[in-house]
Amino acid sequence: MPARSDGEWRLALPVAAFFALFFVAPLGVLFVVSLFAEPTMQTLALRQYTRFLGDRLHLGILVDTLVLGVKATLVCLLLGYPLAWVIARARPRVQSLLVFVVILPLLTSVVVRTFAWIVILGRQGILNKTLLAVGLIDEPVRLLFTEPGVVMVLAQVQLPLMILPLLTTFQRIDPHLADASAALGAGQWRTFARVIAPLSLPGVAAGCVLVYAACVTAFVTQTLIGGARLVWVPLFMYQQATGANDWPFAAAISIVFMFAVLFVVVLINAAGRGRRALVHG
Amino acid sequence: MTPSIDRRTFVRGGAAFAIAALTPVPASAKDQLVVATFPGTWNEVHREILAPYFQKKTNADVTQTIMLATDQVAKLAATRGQPPFDVAILDEGPTLDAVKQGVLEKYPAAKSAHFNELGPPFRNEWGPAISMQAIGLAYNPKKVKTAPRSWDDLWNPAYKGRVGLTALNSSLGMAFIVELARLKGGSESNLEPGFLALRTLLPNVGAISANLGAHSALIQQEQVDVAVHNFNFIETLKGKGVEVDWVKPETGAPAWRTNLHIVKGAQRPDLAFEYIEGHITPEVQAAMAKPPHFVIPTNRKVVLSGAIVDKVARTPDELTKLVFHDWTKINEVRAAAIERFNREIKL
Repeated sequence: MPARSDGEWRLALPVAAFFALFFVAPLGVLFVVSLFAEPTMQTLALRQYTRFLGDRLHLGILVDTLVLGVKATLVCLLLGYPLAWVIARARPRVQSLLVFVVILPLLTSVVVRTFAWIVILGRQGILNKTLLAVGLIDEPVRLLFTEPGVVMVLAQVQLPLMILPLLTTFQRIDPHLADASAALGAGQWRTFARVIAPLSLPGVAAGCVLVYAACVTAFVTQTLIGGARLVWVPLFMYQQATGANDWPFAAAISIVFMFAVLFVVVLINAAGRGRRALVHG
Repeated sequence: MTPSIDRRTFVRGGAAFAIAALTPVPASAKDQLVVATFPGTWNEVHREILAPYFQKKTNADVTQTIMLATDQVAKLAATRGQPPFDVAILDEGPTLDAVKQGVLEKYPAAKSAHFNELGPPFRNEWGPAISMQAIGLAYNPKKVKTAPRSWDDLWNPAYKGRVGLTALNSSLGMAFIVELARLKGGSESNLEPGFLALRTLLPNVGAISANLGAHSALIQQEQVDVAVHNFNFIETLKGKGVEVDWVKPETGAPAWRTNLHIVKGAQRPDLAFEYIEGHITPEVQAAMAKPPHFVIPTNRKVVLSGAIVDKVARTPDELTKLVFHDWTKINEVRAAAIERFNREIKL
């Protein structure tokens, strides 16, 4: 090896230092805070963890949050997959226009997008007024402050995070593979199921991980659309940290939450990798 | 020759750029004060009335950031000694918390020209009460033909699914549950009767907003027709043409003082003092008390008028006789109350 490449790892030093200083160190502080037994932070104990994990209400909030993420991610996938496919197959000019339209929501603040949804979903909102006018319903449907409402909004708000990785994956699939599959006698569905779908799995996994992580931690959308009766972990943490001034408990919740989300993310990744191994094997 | 940058220059340049980008910019020479403000009416009167007054008087700039009281206390406690803002605006309960946390400076009342013009209950040694917030029944007159008169009216079967409440992270939410408890035989330290009452109210509750910002939207978007809300917030909305009105409950309007404080370690305590002084002058308070904001004044020189007289109190003396709760006791049970609210008030 030439001497020059020996030092290349040093290029990663700035970002490593940045991460150590602004991510790892605060996380360490968070962990230490979570080990205090009372809000005044005097004695060390694991009380906050047993308090969170030993209570059915708290565990319920954790499970609800993880499930909320799964629901929103699935809706995102169902909506995003076909759309990404259409964009990938479109003519170049149409394609750049469609990509622009997909990215457009990312250029507005999430608070603004979520408030727009309040106007759409409200009892006197656009959706209810339209359904009433068309005669599909007799009285307004409750959408705001319900879980389906939150899932709907999360799916829309996070959709670009699903479409972009899928799009990259679709574009990388060699179009000749589909032709080859057709030449060998496979129909369109069979080609999709045996060739396209398995090859797109890495994109699906990447999109799902991004959307999932964004959905479970979406404090703004969860609180504005969900209200105070639907409590998910981010709101619960916020209440403990600011409303109740109980930092150790809030810190313990965030540590547990981080590992729980990490676990789901690892599962999604494993699913993406495992299936791919099958295809190539 | 193609222009080229050698590796060394590139790395050095990059490092210099990164360091420059990460270095906090020192406050500019121009005088700059950073203050906290509340959402809704508060943010409007501070921007439109107090900021211009302050700028004219001191020739300094002021940046106002919107933050709930509990968020301010949490931020001040987290950044002890390096506060992100110089003036805090806190309701009674959070003020007590902030004093306990040691993040406030005592108010130099001796230097103040207006402190003694305030009603006696409004002269807090940690910072003057600049107003009072009173809560009552907000309703949509287009949807609700006979105006509600008491808290008991919230249980009216006609309001099934049409009542709006807010979570306990704001003084509004906390004051409401305390008032319910008080009326049902409990007290600030015994919220049990309040929670029992709240549970029987649930069939009527259409929505519980997670924070104050979202609470006004409930009424504006006609998601609910009757709600527990602040007097000024509703008057401000009404002034903007929203179909809404406010009624003082027969049992009295629960009220609490809102204080301005100089934060400990403030970068410009001198400007912070001037800013707070501005807020307690009769001139500024009179301007804020006008429609559409109707911010209740605490300076006795301000003549009460308009909706404040019609709906809250006729004289400065009457103002001191609204329903005041003991926030020292409330603070002791607040954490437990939030926990219980989550446990019992879920769908």
